[in-house]
Amino acid sequence: MAIKNFSLPGKLRKRGFIQISFAWLFAIIVGAIIIVFAILAATKVINLGQYQTSSESQAQFGVLLNPLQTSFESASVTSMAAPSETRIYNSCSKSGTFGKQTISIAEKSFNKWPLVPPDGTSFQSKYLFSENVTEGKQFFLFSKPFEFPFKVADLIYVTSSSENYCFIDPPSDVNQELSNLNEKNIFINSSSSNCPAGSIRVCFDSSSSCDINVDTFSDTVKKDGLTSSYYGNALMYAAIFSDHAIYECQLSRLMKREYQLSNLYFEKQKTISLEGCSSNLGSDLSGLGGLLSSFSDSSSINGLISKVNALQSENSYADCPLW
Amino acid sequence: MAFMIVAVTIFFALVGMIILVTQVSGLNQKAAALRGENAKLLVSKIADSPEFSCGNSFGTSMGSCIDEDKVMNLKSMINKYGKGSFWGVNGIEIRTIYPLNRGIECTKENYPDCSVISLIKSVNGTGVSNFVSLCRRDYSSGISSANCTLAEIIVTYNG
Repeated sequence: MAIKNFSLPGKLRKRGFIQISFAWLFAIIVGAIIIVFAILAATKVINLGQYQTSSESQAQFGVLLNPLQTSFESASVTSMAAPSETRIYNSCSKSGTFGKQTISIAEKSFNKWPLVPPDGTSFQSKYLFSENVTEGKQFFLFSKPFEFPFKVADLIYVTSSSENYCFIDPPSDVNQELSNLNEKNIFINSSSSNCPAGSIRVCFDSSSSCDINVDTFSDTVKKDGLTSSYYGNALMYAAIFSDHAIYECQLSRLMKREYQLSNLYFEKQKTISLEGCSSNLGSDLSGLGGLLSSFSDSSSINGLISKVNALQSENSYADCPLW
Repeated sequence: MAFMIVAVTIFFALVGMIILVTQVSGLNQKAAALRGENAKLLVSKIADSPEFSCGNSFGTSMGSCIDEDKVMNLKSMINKYGKGSFWGVNGIEIRTIYPLNRGIECTKENYPDCSVISLIKSVNGTGVSNFVSLCRRDYSSGISSANCTLAEIIVTYNG
């Protein structure tokens, strides 16, 4: 039973009210509700699509990092091209036994970036050094093993093709290594005047004002007014290519892994001693473990160097080297 | 007419749900494929990670070489590594291929007279494997030497 004509009383009709039947009124209300629900559903589907795309990209990015694991080569390089403008958000957490590395990837959609970075994918065994946000369509990734004195991990450096780095008069080993990488956004020049316009200038033991200053005497890198200490070229590159906070956090994570590895080598040393091949590394390994447990930031790295050098020397002369 | 609109809406809602279900099942397949790809790449490189690799401890640096002494000690520390979550896998097992695998699980008591090191035991999942050298230090008659066997490392993932 449907009411065919829903008309207003005579007085109101005279004042110019529109005459609407119940069917029309019902259709308008239901239609409006349906349209609102359709818009909400479409928005959710678009968001879901973006979330799906970023989750896929993050998982693929994680897969791409596996071949960067080095065995006995000095460095490994790869590149990643994105279909559209992409942002890689790098975050790091020190909590837990090893801390964790979280990567979020967002793509520009309808010429807009998502207001909030998508939920990231976490890795416990990876160490990515980059700015907080790296933006571009092509990314270069290269990795280098960090040995302190044994191999701790492969450090992965992420840069965008839209950011050029100009290394001015670097030491010969750095020059050789970077030249071999053949990364399109890394330039090596003898003076800053030859650097491409807009490039990030990296100077070595120079008083001239550069974007990044590396002091190879004190083993420090000064970037954005903040100083980071390093040990070896792997950590030097890490300090150059990454944000200061990320560098410090990743270094703490590396020291956590080093702590576990020093325990592992301590146990291995006990095992091979039982088989008759003793080494004198036990006390130094436990000493290193003690120092690592109180590691706070990059400035503490200098306090570890003498112990690391002693271990390196003892291991190289041992009958049964541990690493 | 109103009921027609409701009927059309229900029809499109059903069509939308079917599309969503198809997409979700496609997503699950993609996720499983990515996990598989990750495991395949990981298994080819895991032997070179510091917890497994021989490094220079047997004279020269060797790729795809697992230090058996180190892995046996890692077995007792595996809880620290989140039982595989550190590498993002469900299981890791190393099996000797030659000399012949007798299927004896390695423990601290029977090591090195054994042939299977179950680092992380996995009840279910898909396994991918890679061939590696499994080396340990032998010290007999006052002479230290490397004792290497051919082995297979099996990484298990959810899929």
